[in-house]
Formats: sequence, C-alpha cells, structure tokens
Amino acid sequence: MITTLASNLGRFALLVLLQVLILDRLDVANGWMVPYLYVLFLLMLPFELPNWAGLLIGAATGLVLDAFGSTPGMHMSACTVMMFARIHLLRLMAPRDGYEFGMRPTVPRMGLAWFATNAGVLILLHHLWLFFVEMHRFDAFFSTLLRAILSAAFTLGLALLTQFLTSRASERARA
Amino acid sequence: MRDLFRFLYRIRDTLLFLALLLTALVMLYNGNMHHRSIAINSSNAVAGTIFTWRSQVTEYTSLRERNEKLVVENEALRNRYGIGSDAVDTTMQPAGDSAIWQPFTFTAAKVVHATYHKPLNYLTLDRGSASSLHEDMGVVGPSGIVGVVRAVSPRFASVISVLNTDLRTSVKVKRTGHFGLLYWNTMDAATASVIDIPKHGRVREQDTIVTMGGDGIFPPGVPVGEVLSVENPPGRPDLNVRIRLFEDMARVGFVYVVEDRLRSERDSLESQQPTR
Repeated sequence: MITTLASNLGRFALLVLLQVLILDRLDVANGWMVPYLYVLFLLMLPFELPNWAGLLIGAATGLVLDAFGSTPGMHMSACTVMMFARIHLLRLMAPRDGYEFGMRPTVPRMGLAWFATNAGVLILLHHLWLFFVEMHRFDAFFSTLLRAILSAAFTLGLALLTQFLTSRASERARA
Repeated sequence: MRDLFRFLYRIRDTLLFLALLLTALVMLYNGNMHHRSIAINSSNAVAGTIFTWRSQVTEYTSLRERNEKLVVENEALRNRYGIGSDAVDTTMQPAGDSAIWQPFTFTAAKVVHATYHKPLNYLTLDRGSASSLHEDMGVVGPSGIVGVVRAVSPRFASVISVLNTDLRTSVKVKRTGHFGLLYWNTMDAATASVIDIPKHGRVREQDTIVTMGGDGIFPPGVPVGEVLSVENPPGRPDLNVRIRLFEDMARVGFVYVVEDRLRSERDSLESQQPTR
C-alpha cells in the first residue's frame, strides 16, 4: 500500500517535471507533434483505485499542468474526460475473471497488446479533446485533427519506450 | 425516495465526472473571455521557481548568441544617441520639462520559460509585482514586440505571446499609416498576419509594420515585422497580409516590459465621456 503510494507519487513528480521542463519545449516537426507523456501517470494508476478517486486524481493532475502552461481548464477537462473513459474501457477490457489483486496496467503484467490498445485509445481521446479545446474553434478542423493524431502516436511511442526502459528484467521474464 | 438515492448512488461516478468537467469548462470559458480574473497561470511561485532552475541550467548554451544580440542592440542605441556621455545637453532645460519627461519607462526581465510551437503560447518572466510589473503591460524584445503581461505574482509574470491566437494588437503600416490588427493564425513561430487593413491601403512587400500605440500597452512605433506577402481575397473587405516577425520568438532571452505612465490619466479621462 505504502509502496504503491510512494511509487505513484514519484511517477507523478517525475512525469510532470519531464513534461514541463523538457517535452513542452520540444519542437518536433514544427509543432505538428507535441507529446503529452504526463498522461502515462494516469494510465498506470492501479486497477484497485476507486473510480471517484481516479476522476479526482485526473482532474488534479490536469490542473497542475494548467498551472504550468497558463491554460486554465484545458488539461483539467482533457484528463477528466480521459479518466471517465478509462473507467468504462477497463471494464470492457477486463480479463474473464476480473483483475486479480496486484495486477498493474503495465506491459510486463498485462502484455503489449493490452497495454497498447488501452493506452492508445485513451491517449488519442485525451489528445483530440486537448487539441480541439486549445484551438477553441473548428475552422482548422483537419489540421487540428492531424496534429492530434500525430501527437498521440508520438506520445504512445514514448509511453511504450518508457515501459520497456523502466520494467525490471525479473518482471519481463515472468511476463 | 429511497429509489432515487439508490439511483443517484449508482450513477455517482458519472455525476462526479460531470461536476469536474463543468468546473473545468467554466475555468476554460473564464480564461478565454476575461483572462484577468483567473489565478491558474505560470506566474505562480512553484512554476516560476521550477522554470528558473531550468533556465539557470540551459542559459549557458546561449550566452554567445545573447551577447551578440546585446552588442547589436547597443550599436543601434549608440547610433541613435551618440557615443559621448554629454550627447544630450540638459543644462539649459528647466527641471520637469515635458520635453525630457519620458511617458514610457522600461524594466528589463529575463525569460525563464517560453513555448512557441503550440496554438496558445506563453512566456514566464523572472520579474513580478515586486518590480512594479502589473497586467496589460507591453513586452518588447531587442528586435520587436514579444507579448503582453497577463498576470503577475510577486516574483514572476506570465506573458501572453504574440504567437497566441487569443492576442490581437493594434498595429499600423509605417509607410502609409493604415491601421490593422496583428493576429497569429499562421501556426509558425516566424510569421503572423495583419488583418483589417482596408483594400485601398496600398501595402507592399517589405513594408515595415509597427505598433500603433495609444492603447496603454505599447509605445507607438515599436517594430513588429516586415510584410512578406499581400493577397486581395475576393468577397472580403480587408487585405490578407502576412508578415515576418522581427523578434525571433524561438530564442527570446531578455525583454523589456513597458510601463505607460500616462495610462491611468488617459483611462480616467476617457471613462468620463458619456457613453452613446
């Protein structure tokens, strides 16, 4: 319990700092690919977490990002939508016997296909919401859509890379 | 009644979701409409301090470039005001002469954080209300305008960049004097558009665009950019002017924050006029 809390807090601090200090300044392909890797923190929250707690943590995380980016409500709304979708998606993607105690939403524990599907859907939803809210108009619809999709692909790539770089060898052997 | 409570309990996650989403959307709306009244911005002490660490680590990599920019700027100022200390002879002027009284004062500040590749870009400065900065002050760089102060904390200021679709600044064509609005819709850090210039305004390529002034934010005549292309779209009353910004927004280091000392006087005078 304490370990889970500590590792999640550490992951939160690390990913938020990585986001605001490095990724937000990363200018890839002239602004067509802007990764928002901090959502990995939300994607890796434990399955046992009550739904209401997930929603509150999502909203709070978004608010922290908004405070760094001077964009009140933008990340908060995107994270809230994503965490609400996550509730239903986790139910939809549950194993036949439900999630076992101690299972974590990572590549070594759940498999690459499960993680990539789950993360892919949620990241795409988050990015689509975020990019359209950021433009707050629909006149550049297709370029915004393309920017959101390209950025989501970039974020998913970084998320998978992070999974492979941070999972321990013992975990990988077991999986 | 019990059924109602049971029903509400069953959809409690959805209710919480809707409440949080509504909160976020209200913040979003307030932030877009009247951006002066909100507290969520990068001038807060935590974000400012973290951005300052980063800039302390990274600023060494751009020292050479910043020095060269400063030398160029000094050269321009020397050419304008002469090299000697007695270039401006003030001995014969009475104290308090309006000819030497400056309506605009400048405060130097360092940019500790800036983005330039998003639709809504902001900068964070290392000066705040302790250095008598306040909202709605203009921010200019060595080569041209940079943005407008949006919020301040004691030690930091959050600046809305010219590369932000929410900012529109009054500008004019220096050669002809036609007014327009600087509006960033190009999604490219090097260029911007000037809208609302009427079609009879004969804007040419390489015309210089400067600020109009009189808005209490920028002094008149601050360089903005150079006209790249002029289009005359049918069915619209204004020209489609695209400009190259003079200030390199991807590398802005030190900036000057402009205080218009006549602003409150002008504002109070204008608010006395009867509204039609």
